[in-house]
Amino acid sequence: MAGRPPLPAAAPVRGSGDGGARGQYDWDRLAARARRRRALSHAALTGFLVLASVPILLPYFWVLTISFSAKTGGIESVVLWRACGVLIPAVIAFALGRILLPRRRQRWILAGFVTGAAVIAISVAIGPYLHFENYRFFWVADIVRDLPGRGQATHYAQFPSVWIAFRNSLLLAVTQTALVVVVATLAGYYISRFAFAGRASFLQALLVLHAFPAMTLIIPIFLLMHWIGMLDTITGVILVICTLELPFAIFIMKGFFDAVPWDIEMSAMTDGASRRQAFVKVVLPQVKVGMLAIGVFAFIRGWEEYVFVRTLLFEKANWMMSLYLWWVADDIMGVDYGIVAAVAVFYIVPSLLLYLFCQRFLVQMSLGGIKG
Amino acid sequence: MARIELSGIRKEWGEVVAVEDMDLVIEDGEFVAVLGPSGCGKSTTLFMLAGIYAPSAGVMRFDGSLVNEVESRDRNVGIVFQSYALYPHMSVRENIAFPLRFKKVPDAEARRRVEAIARLVQVHDLLDRRPGEMSGGQQQRVALARALVKEPQLLLLDEPLSNLDATLRLTMRTEIKRLQRQLEVTTILVTHDQVEATTMADRIVCMSKGRIEQVAAPAELYARPASLFVASFVGAPPINVLAGRAEGAEVVVNGLRLGRVGEGGAAGEVVLGIRPEHIRFDAHGLAGRIDQIEPMGRETLYLVETPMGGVRVLEGGAGVRFALGDSVRIGFRPEDSLLFDRESGALVPGARVAPPAG
Repeated sequence: MAGRPPLPAAAPVRGSGDGGARGQYDWDRLAARARRRRALSHAALTGFLVLASVPILLPYFWVLTISFSAKTGGIESVVLWRACGVLIPAVIAFALGRILLPRRRQRWILAGFVTGAAVIAISVAIGPYLHFENYRFFWVADIVRDLPGRGQATHYAQFPSVWIAFRNSLLLAVTQTALVVVVATLAGYYISRFAFAGRASFLQALLVLHAFPAMTLIIPIFLLMHWIGMLDTITGVILVICTLELPFAIFIMKGFFDAVPWDIEMSAMTDGASRRQAFVKVVLPQVKVGMLAIGVFAFIRGWEEYVFVRTLLFEKANWMMSLYLWWVADDIMGVDYGIVAAVAVFYIVPSLLLYLFCQRFLVQMSLGGIKG
Repeated sequence: MARIELSGIRKEWGEVVAVEDMDLVIEDGEFVAVLGPSGCGKSTTLFMLAGIYAPSAGVMRFDGSLVNEVESRDRNVGIVFQSYALYPHMSVRENIAFPLRFKKVPDAEARRRVEAIARLVQVHDLLDRRPGEMSGGQQQRVALARALVKEPQLLLLDEPLSNLDATLRLTMRTEIKRLQRQLEVTTILVTHDQVEATTMADRIVCMSKGRIEQVAAPAELYARPASLFVASFVGAPPINVLAGRAEGAEVVVNGLRLGRVGEGGAAGEVVLGIRPEHIRFDAHGLAGRIDQIEPMGRETLYLVETPMGGVRVLEGGAGVRFALGDSVRIGFRPEDSLLFDRESGALVPGARVAPPAG
């Protein structure tokens, strides 16, 4: 920089000579226009996303407020509206602060102030309505026992503990996730790397299987389960859901393996690795995002499963969370929406946590993942 | 370091013959380039040496011992791939140390060797980076370090320079050559770039369609190509190739009769080859007209239309002397002419052609 000659004095003149001014661009004006456009499109995008997410978020939020406020039998929307009345201004204040305040420090101060105000307003507005009675299923094993008229309930009318359903659901989801990830990874690798007779048609069959509506198979599957003696067993359900989940997972994994160049595998083998070591130490780390993705999908699929567990499981000891939720809604005289909402919240939390935790990996997948 | 012997090596993929009955001996510490166009079987040969492909037939020996069935990981061969094939999830240090993990080298010793080799290829400042955070040239050096750290008996380079920009290619060329001399490791370079081959290698194996066309030192390959293929593949701008017929003591090219000089008894269809730099402007030569001019800095390439056909003439050091459409006369020395049999493509040894008089 030191040796650079100074700019000639005549260079940056704007509007100095009479002929020169017209030929030059007004850079400041153009820059201002670009800034305005950027701000406008940013605002439009933000507005659109907010509007689009309202109908998605509102019902969940409502479920949450019901679960903490509803008294037996009735549902009131007053808590929802009051909560919204506090939260919406708070969110708008956050957004405005983000847009208008230039300094990070100022934003933090505003955020702290808004949060404090919102907490106080919430506790004043809906504090008296809040209670945990709807969550009593955590500690009361049979929630229908103390309902009026159900005191002398028979064995068949009794509810199992929610923890049994939770354990079963977890078992189903975790086991089938493990199976799907292991099988799909190995199968995807094989399909990606080895030529074998019928490879192309196998791939097509995978897609067809994935697109095939599983519901239409429900009667054949029921009969099959009956014949092989797996009706009303969790193992049976796990196998069925795995089977339905695998085609898609294999296809995804094949795409991930395709993106891993042959060269690094060959390189690992000349570096002294066996084929298996090359696979484990060099290839697998390249596809772990894919494994995570199919793992999350498989877990959520297993966790949310309703139709097949409803069809293939009867015994109360085999209830899943989805069945528990359904029976809570169905089996209580005059649906107690407070409990239904509380169970729903409890049911959502694990998959929500998992999703939040893995979100950034899943986003990567859509960018770098599926390549044929 | 090893002496490599290939005899009758053959590789078939179903019906396709990728490498056909190859015989080749590479001396200990030698730097050999395998040169040929894409699909000539040079990479297949390389992968067979590395043990990734098994030859369909033939015998492969390292230092006299048969290695056909020895697994890739036991051959102690270092290989640098065209794509470098670094492991993206490992740091440079882990990449270079990877081969040592399988050799049960103690940690302290491994660290020492990694740092020594990294210093040698000048990546010792980058040891904690990931491959994705480096330039192509740096990745190339890391790949080289990883191939060399295990002290291989054979170093294989698969088009190692083709992904680098022109300046870097020059630097790496010199550096690889220096390293090879310093470490005295037997090295095989596979390339389609004749300049890489001629500048780096002690000997060049020129391949075409799975067969070895010629094995020779760079200068000899250029001066005495064994076949028309070698003559046209080696040399830039390419050699002038003129089809003709040998008739008694004359060669007829495009109706023009050229006298034959010396022995060498080709008859029938022949091809005359003369390198552009061997043709000169000569006041007593064959008349022609300048059809195109390509200034290349130090040299100028002219395309001259003559009764023999279009001829490239490369002239050095004189600047651009002519303009388009100028009438010129060209000639060449008989000892610079090469005569090939058109059918087999083989050089007719000793056969020369005298330049036509104007």
